[in-house]
Amino acid sequence: MKEDRVLAQPSVVATTNAGPGKTFRELEDERLAAEGVRRVARNRNFVRRLQSQGLVLVFIVVFVIMWVSSPYFLTTGNLLTAASVVSILGIMAVLETLLVIAGEIDISVGSVMAAVSVLLGLMAAAGMNIWLAAILGLLFSAAVGVINGVVTVYFKINSLVTTLGTYSIFLGLAYALSSTSTVSVGGQGFDVLGSGSVGSIPVPVLFFVGIWLVVAVAARHSRLGRHVYATGDNYDAAVRSGVRADLLRVGLFVAVATSAGLAGIIVTSELGAAAPQIGTSYLLSVITAVILGGASLRGGRGRMVGTLVAVAILGVLQNGFALLQFSTYLEDTVLGCLLIFAVLTDRLVRRAER
Amino acid sequence: MNEPNGAVNEARPVQVSEGRTARKEATTLRNALLEARGVTRSFGTVQALNGVDFAIHPGEVVGLVGDNGAGKSTLLKILCGALQPSSGQLLVEGSPVVFHSPRDSRERGIEVVYQDLALATELSVLENVFLGREQRRTGILGRFGILDRNAMARDARETLDSLGIEIHDVAARCGLLSGGQRQAVAVAKAIRWGSRVLLLDEPTAALAVMEAEKIGGLVREVVKGEVGVVLVSHNLPQVHELCDRIVVLLRGSIVANLHREDTTVEEIVMWITGAARSRGN
Repeated sequence: MKEDRVLAQPSVVATTNAGPGKTFRELEDERLAAEGVRRVARNRNFVRRLQSQGLVLVFIVVFVIMWVSSPYFLTTGNLLTAASVVSILGIMAVLETLLVIAGEIDISVGSVMAAVSVLLGLMAAAGMNIWLAAILGLLFSAAVGVINGVVTVYFKINSLVTTLGTYSIFLGLAYALSSTSTVSVGGQGFDVLGSGSVGSIPVPVLFFVGIWLVVAVAARHSRLGRHVYATGDNYDAAVRSGVRADLLRVGLFVAVATSAGLAGIIVTSELGAAAPQIGTSYLLSVITAVILGGASLRGGRGRMVGTLVAVAILGVLQNGFALLQFSTYLEDTVLGCLLIFAVLTDRLVRRAER
Repeated sequence: MNEPNGAVNEARPVQVSEGRTARKEATTLRNALLEARGVTRSFGTVQALNGVDFAIHPGEVVGLVGDNGAGKSTLLKILCGALQPSSGQLLVEGSPVVFHSPRDSRERGIEVVYQDLALATELSVLENVFLGREQRRTGILGRFGILDRNAMARDARETLDSLGIEIHDVAARCGLLSGGQRQAVAVAKAIRWGSRVLLLDEPTAALAVMEAEKIGGLVREVVKGEVGVVLVSHNLPQVHELCDRIVVLLRGSIVANLHREDTTVEEIVMWITGAARSRGN
């Protein structure tokens, strides 16, 4: 084998000392190139700003239309009611946004709500303390999240399929278990969760705003939040950098399912009865709020402010349909249109950035 | 200075028989930052590595070349803990280590730069440099995981400046950077945390010529310190230009250990293809 016995390192170091200084700093093109990159950067950021400003514009338009169409719309009472109603889906949309940013999706939220509601009814009928039942309901929903997460992440199943499965499983169970009789759920001040208010602010709104604030700050400024973005953006890079991406995703599935459990408890408290039918309408609206808010189904991208505005838009729309006495079926149609519109916008933004 | 591999080779038989004292002697001679001894790895019936001895010393750039399937990436993965050797041993500065995952090697100051631009494009430059090693604020906010952006920005700025990487805003999203700038950030990240060894896996494969040259400049900058660099590349002119020593793998074995001064690109090619050996060198 040809091997040299002498390593002439000093001379190597000497030449490298002179080398990089020249190749690096003296390239004037570099500055020009950087200038070009900055210009591109400005354009790309412009497209994004347009997207988020467009969302606010949609909100204003919808708001004004309602204001003009109905004399009842712009009253404190009505706005608080609208906020209270939309907070239920808002609570779920906040955590669903995080999950979508991490590159996964959970469409089982509605059925988890229904299942938890029925579970509360069964436990209340059995004479259990309703608050204890609520805590058990939260634990149950968290367990569903564990199933969603473990199946999806560790067996590498598309989360759309996993959660479609759990959606069907628990919605079916909820109906099957509730078919015997309607059980009233209440007492021990339980109705405060759904119908109570602090000052004039309804409790569901407080839940929503509180959760939104915590998650929004965490997403932007905490280590965990940045890991969520990194995981959805570039899974390999995140893992190589030491991010526990799999554990994080499972955790997010648990968080989303638990938020659905909370939403189910709040709705049950508001209605005063177990109601399996609550589950079906939330599937579409939660996902629509998330995507309309600018979170990308491809992961890595999304802002909590966007979700907030999107939830507000849906709130005004839902309220408007009720006030104007439009068919609730048409509400689904409008939501579907919004969803397609939102996905198209995301697509166009990505194309413009390329 | 003695040729490092030679020193290690001399020390080895002694160490086997006498254990600790011999290792101390080896230390005084000159310890490799990272060393593989007799490393073998097989996948089923395929022998990917066949008793490989490989060492990286401070301030040294070692080129690792070979044809596809010669075992380059297997060796690289073993060096960073992504794969475990079937037999053989890894040593960090003379003491045996076992890497169960890249996490373990990272803790020992060994960083890898991958050929695909391994950055999160939605995160800023500073967030990428600190990804997985975020600096938290002091006090109660830090307890809740709130990040100290200013400190990380300053640190990232210093790192980039010290390497002469021109990026105007460390808070800018990485998606806004060019491919070369991104790879420069990836290298800077590795340099920031890799206190011992940098393993570069085709770092310039996806880059334009000018950009590849800049990454080469970065590599030279790095080895001014006490860091060792392993460069895996198909770009033989670049390997020849950058590396002090070029190690050629052929079918899972090291067939040549060449020094830059007395070899040529043509000779490296002959070793890679096996032509040099069959000629009886």
